[in-house]
Amino acid sequence: MDVSYPQRAERFRADVRAFLAANLPPGWRGLGALAPGERHDFERAWRATLAQNNLLAVSWPAAYGGAGLSAIEQVVRSEEFERAGAPTGTENDGFGIELLGNTLLVAGTQEQKRYFLPRILSGEHVWCQGYSEPDAGSDLAGVRTRAVLDGGEFVINGQKIWTSAGATANWIFVIARTDPGVPKHKGLTFLLVPIGQPGVEVRPIKNAAGYELFCEVFFTDARTPAGHVVGGVNNGWSTAMTLLGFERGAEVTTDPIRYRRDLDRLLELARERGRDTEPGIRDELAWCYARVEIMRYRGYRGLTRFLSGARPGADGAISKLIWSEYFQRYTELAMEILGLDALAPAGPGNGGALKVADAGTENSARCWAEEFLHARAGTIYAGSSQIQRTVIGEQLLGLPREPRLDGGPFRDIGQPAAAPALGG
Amino acid sequence: MFFDYSAEQQDFAGSLRKLVADRAPLPAVRARLGDAHDPDLWRTVGQEMALLTLAVPERYGGGGFSLEETAIAVAELGRGLAPVPVFEAVLAIEAILRTGTGAQRQELLPSLLSGDRIAVAALSGPDALDPGAGPVTARPAGAGHTLTGSLPHVLRGHVADLFLVPALAADGAGLFAVERTAPGVTVSGPGSSFDLTRPVCAVELDTVPAQRLGDGPGPDLDGLVDVGRTLLAAEMTAAAQACLEASVEYAKRRVQFNRAIGSFQAVKHGCAQLAVEIDAARAASDWAAMLAGAGDPGLRTAALIAKAQAADTFTACAGWNIQVHGGIGFTWEHDAHLYLRRAKADEALFGSTARHRALLATRAGI
Repeated sequence: MDVSYPQRAERFRADVRAFLAANLPPGWRGLGALAPGERHDFERAWRATLAQNNLLAVSWPAAYGGAGLSAIEQVVRSEEFERAGAPTGTENDGFGIELLGNTLLVAGTQEQKRYFLPRILSGEHVWCQGYSEPDAGSDLAGVRTRAVLDGGEFVINGQKIWTSAGATANWIFVIARTDPGVPKHKGLTFLLVPIGQPGVEVRPIKNAAGYELFCEVFFTDARTPAGHVVGGVNNGWSTAMTLLGFERGAEVTTDPIRYRRDLDRLLELARERGRDTEPGIRDELAWCYARVEIMRYRGYRGLTRFLSGARPGADGAISKLIWSEYFQRYTELAMEILGLDALAPAGPGNGGALKVADAGTENSARCWAEEFLHARAGTIYAGSSQIQRTVIGEQLLGLPREPRLDGGPFRDIGQPAAAPALGG
Repeated sequence: MFFDYSAEQQDFAGSLRKLVADRAPLPAVRARLGDAHDPDLWRTVGQEMALLTLAVPERYGGGGFSLEETAIAVAELGRGLAPVPVFEAVLAIEAILRTGTGAQRQELLPSLLSGDRIAVAALSGPDALDPGAGPVTARPAGAGHTLTGSLPHVLRGHVADLFLVPALAADGAGLFAVERTAPGVTVSGPGSSFDLTRPVCAVELDTVPAQRLGDGPGPDLDGLVDVGRTLLAAEMTAAAQACLEASVEYAKRRVQFNRAIGSFQAVKHGCAQLAVEIDAARAASDWAAMLAGAGDPGLRTAALIAKAQAADTFTACAGWNIQVHGGIGFTWEHDAHLYLRRAKADEALFGSTARHRALLATRAGI
């Protein structure tokens, strides 16, 4: 076992560090140190700088606007940016570059790649994700949004929900039902849909911490060209799963960096308040330290497998459970350390960060209180803990599936006339 | 960039698993409860397979591998609760390598590496970290020392030919080699050991002639104990996997309410959660083994993380295995309790999990 990176990756790391030193503003402490007003302007300008320097999609082929390097350089870029507290793009880039772009590279047509990929990088197309629906959360294949071919276009009707960064997007990728007469996984199609049309309405939803981070998206006779199907009509489930396979890319090695940074902030809080020597607090802090280290070790294992071309599979479910369950226990510890100060938490908030606060965020009681609230979402989004355990139980351990009641044609599911189809 | 078992290491682990399945399946382990020692298997792993030499430099007759491979060997034997003192012997060999003079290594190692003689280090308690607090005193006697004191929990002490004992001398703490046959040594047991597959003995020392390892006081017992923790973490992780595999196999076969019980989420998710913890334990113990093999100072924290994680995981898996099996799991005839016993005994070795976390907090600068 040897966790040193290949030489070419280390050379690239030096380049990235030099880039960061030359381009970040003087005295840079992280995105969290910027005032809310400055933040938006910085993010715009910074993204343009990254695009000019080929740092948005390091592993994409040069023909599509990428840097033409490999996966390890992409990982190194993300690590160094995380260490510096510098963003690798906007939140929408997570959907456009990491998820959709990488999916198009493996499942898109030549025309789709040529058309969409450069526009994702230039910032002309800004993406969000249309997966969940009010009646299809964990049961994602139960989506009801319909898409019907009408001449050369699909006409889309239905509703998506929990669409992160939907308010800033101008394109959405959608899983829609194109054939309700077949079992539910078989009648889905993956569509690329422009938001700027009369049939698409995006409404923000305020979350439990008070931030508008996700949206509802309503489709009323919205239209998209038939050529904007990725992976074939009625083959959308496969494309949708391919996309989710990109959900955890560089995160395996960047998550531990950011959790460690935030843990240091919690240690500081505990020391400031004289709680760090209390045995119960100390035991929990040591547990947190151990967990973050274990995430780091697992990151190297994940990277080893990623570089060998292995698909994450149940490994991804394990990672999701480890970080999200950690995040709750960790933020509960923060609330314990705050004590009564959690009752009327003062100071600036966490900026709506879904995971730990951005680098440079003030170590305030309100920031921790908001981080604590956001941690509740971590065990729900991107596959709830219960779904992850089912994946592990069935795919990794080979335990038998539950008898299914949704095996027949989609249109018959839940209909009183339909006899429950056991087995299936 | 490679953090996983190499193909060779996987083959090595596979061959050991086959050896344990052939030579020490659980019925054979049960046939030796109490004594927990199979001299034939010991000859095989010592002389034929040279498992005790893996991490020993070639100039001392070693195999030139590293503690990574040693951890794999300890893991595979521990997975099956095999009745041989491999963990104890390799830790004692490591102790001599780390603390002995060149002459002591030349003198002591050959018979230990072949398995002709068995050495056991009396380092199982948390106080082993601090021989000054320990129960054995060394007094000068001629060119050497004599030891007096009690060691109530020496792992597999009944098969040891040589004890390595931490003791406090006038000029400081040290590690001392004591022959089993020396005058004044009394070994009791194994009697009422909780762990039936790795019993402990009480060793009484009354003015026993002993040889100090090294030239003077202050050997790095912390570093040695960290290696012990690392090897034990590997064992516990593998044994935890064995427990979960047994749970999963049973949950696939056992039918209630006209369904395999493993199809119920209550059972499935319990198994899945332990698979998560095993994955974490595996990462932590492999990481610690890698650092131990490379002599990396990061082992100071990594060994504590690995041991604490593996101990929590093994205990949880051994307990869950009984729960999944229901009534049969709580019978003497079922093997589940053998693992639970091992889990709790391992958990206590080198200090409880809470003590590990307290020490981690200190070493990590929390």
